Amino acid sequence: MHTALSGLRPALIAFAIILYLNLVGFPLKFGSVAIWVFGAVLFLISFIVSRRAAASPPALILTKSLIIGLIPSLGLALLTYVFAGMQASQITIQDVFAQILPPHTAALTGLTSEQVIAGESVVPGLYNLVLILTSAAVLGGGLSLLPYEKLKSLQGEKTQGFRSTLPLLIPLLLFAAYLSLGLSSVQLFGSQENKFGLLLLYVFFGSSLYALRVIPQGRLKTAFLIVAVLATIAAPLLNDQFQNSVLGFVTIFIIMGIGLNIVVGFAGLLDLGYVAFFAVGAYSYGLLSSPTSWILVNVPGFEGITFWAGLPIAIVLGLMAGILLGVPVLRLRGDYLAIVTLGFGEIIRLILLNLREFTDGPSGVRGIPPPDLFGVNLGNPRDLLFLAMVVAAIVTFIALRLRDSRIGRSWVAMREDETVAQAMGINLISTKLLAFAFGAMFASLSGVLYAARQVNVYPDNFALDVSINVLALIIIGGIGSIEGVVIGAIALIGLPEILRSVNEYRVVAFGALLVAMMALRPEGLLPSLRRKRELHAGEQENIARRRKVPSS
Amino acid sequence: MASLLSIEKLTKRFGGLVAVNQLDLDVEERSIASVIGPNGAGKTTVFNCVAGFYRPEEGRIIFGGEEIQGLSPDRTTTKGIARTYQNIRLFANMTALENILVGQHPRLKTGWLQAILRTPGYHQEETGALQEAFRLLKFVGLSGVGDHLASGLPYAAQRRLEIARALASKPKLLLLDEPTAGMNPHETAEMTDFIHNLRDKLGITILLIEHDMRVVMGISEKITVLDYGSKIAEGQAKEIQNNAKVIEAYLGRGAASGLKRSPAAQAGAV
Repeated sequence: MHTALSGLRPALIAFAIILYLNLVGFPLKFGSVAIWVFGAVLFLISFIVSRRAAASPPALILTKSLIIGLIPSLGLALLTYVFAGMQASQITIQDVFAQILPPHTAALTGLTSEQVIAGESVVPGLYNLVLILTSAAVLGGGLSLLPYEKLKSLQGEKTQGFRSTLPLLIPLLLFAAYLSLGLSSVQLFGSQENKFGLLLLYVFFGSSLYALRVIPQGRLKTAFLIVAVLATIAAPLLNDQFQNSVLGFVTIFIIMGIGLNIVVGFAGLLDLGYVAFFAVGAYSYGLLSSPTSWILVNVPGFEGITFWAGLPIAIVLGLMAGILLGVPVLRLRGDYLAIVTLGFGEIIRLILLNLREFTDGPSGVRGIPPPDLFGVNLGNPRDLLFLAMVVAAIVTFIALRLRDSRIGRSWVAMREDETVAQAMGINLISTKLLAFAFGAMFASLSGVLYAARQVNVYPDNFALDVSINVLALIIIGGIGSIEGVVIGAIALIGLPEILRSVNEYRVVAFGALLVAMMALRPEGLLPSLRRKRELHAGEQENIARRRKVPSS
Repeated sequence: MASLLSIEKLTKRFGGLVAVNQLDLDVEERSIASVIGPNGAGKTTVFNCVAGFYRPEEGRIIFGGEEIQGLSPDRTTTKGIARTYQNIRLFANMTALENILVGQHPRLKTGWLQAILRTPGYHQEETGALQEAFRLLKFVGLSGVGDHLASGLPYAAQRRLEIARALASKPKLLLLDEPTAGMNPHETAEMTDFIHNLRDKLGITILLIEHDMRVVMGISEKITVLDYGSKIAEGQAKEIQNNAKVIEAYLGRGAASGLKRSPAAQAGAV
């Protein structure tokens, strides 16, 4: 039973691949012939998966391949049916979905979108679809049972090498497919006509990020690093304004995530009031630069500071706020620390709200000037994104170097066992304060970027949910891991922005996502190696034990 | 020889309970001394006072000519006192090597700025620290497991790693809290030799708490016996074995009077 369910994972992967092919426009290009392409995909996946488990009983393998076939085909059929139904009854749906799914998938059944709107049923075509796809998967599983000696080379070490190059291969193959087939455009988000190149860029970025973790040090790794960097630099140039704006927001959260990751991930100090430092950065730049702020109005001759002066000021003020919070909570551990920091975060917001003469209370700070460089205004989303990316790169660099140093080791030691860490000669006070200070500085920096980007900031921008979001994104991404912060920010901050018009549901969806993540993958999407070992220590032992059995 | 550690009239109370009562204890430089006593006698409390975990109510602890009572654990470590724990307390999710690197913390000096800039001094220090860590791993007989998680090591290896971590701070005095607890006879014999080596090769003064009498009697130059927080006997192995108060503390009054008549049974009991 358990092993038959292990077919679920490849089934979902297959479903994702098929959805992707739909997205790219296979059905539109090929109509019902696309089903055969999907069938080939399922056949291959089912074959490879079954081949790996060649020792299992045939009935089990066939059940597994049945699952691999049924889940994607039924899923696709359901989507097609629902969307075709909606299209027929003229229900307008969210743009994003409308452009991807209904006309495309209905084409799988051989109907044009006019026919669908005219009310022709897609159901007969769907039976066909499910039948073909499922048989393809079962066929793949069945064929794997045949004793072809040569196919065995797919197992063992060779697959290992194959798997490590997979992240590179997938985008290359997709690119080749795109060039040779000239497939239609994708409008996943944004408004431009042809976004496939961009999508590809993101695929490259994602796969490089993945590859960087899997591949050991060497030339290949350097190549991936270069690809990732190039993709990162190229993306803002190809994006439209909306995309850059979303990514700018994501990057601001990445900076905060990296900061909180030092406090929570490395040093193990649960800080629920992290937004306070974000507010300190945003308000310090805002109050010192906005033409309507109390300081500029009441201090004669003071013209306000530039963005570039705002950065170091925010660093210093952030640092001071970090130490201000750090000192009283030094003796607190765990839950108590969380509660006190929670209070601190709210206090800062309430001060901003109630210090009306100085901060203008709920009306906020308005007209914060954008950064400019030698007279060139950098206030547009693309330049702000570049700026944020530079800050994020610096912050990442600092975090990585600290992690690998004596300081990083004492943070981890403190997280593991505070008492023993102290007995190792680690000064708990300075070590904790250092973590708080770096976290606060990074948040404060991102606050300045945020203020420059938003132009107007209000106390309500700095409510508890920002702290929770940042904490959630580092947990989703994988606590203690920097790549995890990037992925977490994209998933938790980027996606909701893209899906803004389904606003009410996104909160529900993310609640569910969080619960599911914690249950299925507690270490996060891209966990730090340490955390992974921690949470899967038992499994690792099991694997080691299982490997030993056949050799002895 | 001069004493490295001297404890004078040390008293530690927990509420109404007097855990350590007016204790005097001297440990000579380059010696191996033991503290024994029944469960709850206050042995570990003495350790905790010396290492700075507890602040004693009365008395003085003089280490290398300086009063150290009331100093925090990180300060006593910097002064040259290192310890291990009764229930092993390694950093379970760090590798063996990382554990030792953390142990070297007080000897390393680079701060956060050097760490970010990776100055030549930082590189030199880190390389040195790594070499030292490998050397210590080899010294405790754990070569080759440097990248294993501490929690994944066998029990006896964890004990050794804990000692290696303590040695990493280059201590003058090493406090070992039941170093052979839970070990089989073979492992115990190895550990005993190892402790001897620490003193003979590295010149470290050792104070240990131990329940295994074969280890205590074989290894210690001086044994101090505690019962209910007070010292009831002190001396060399032979003297302790024949001390009526000690036998009474361990076995009860009746047993003590009975055993006096039978030296053979007494040796077996103690």
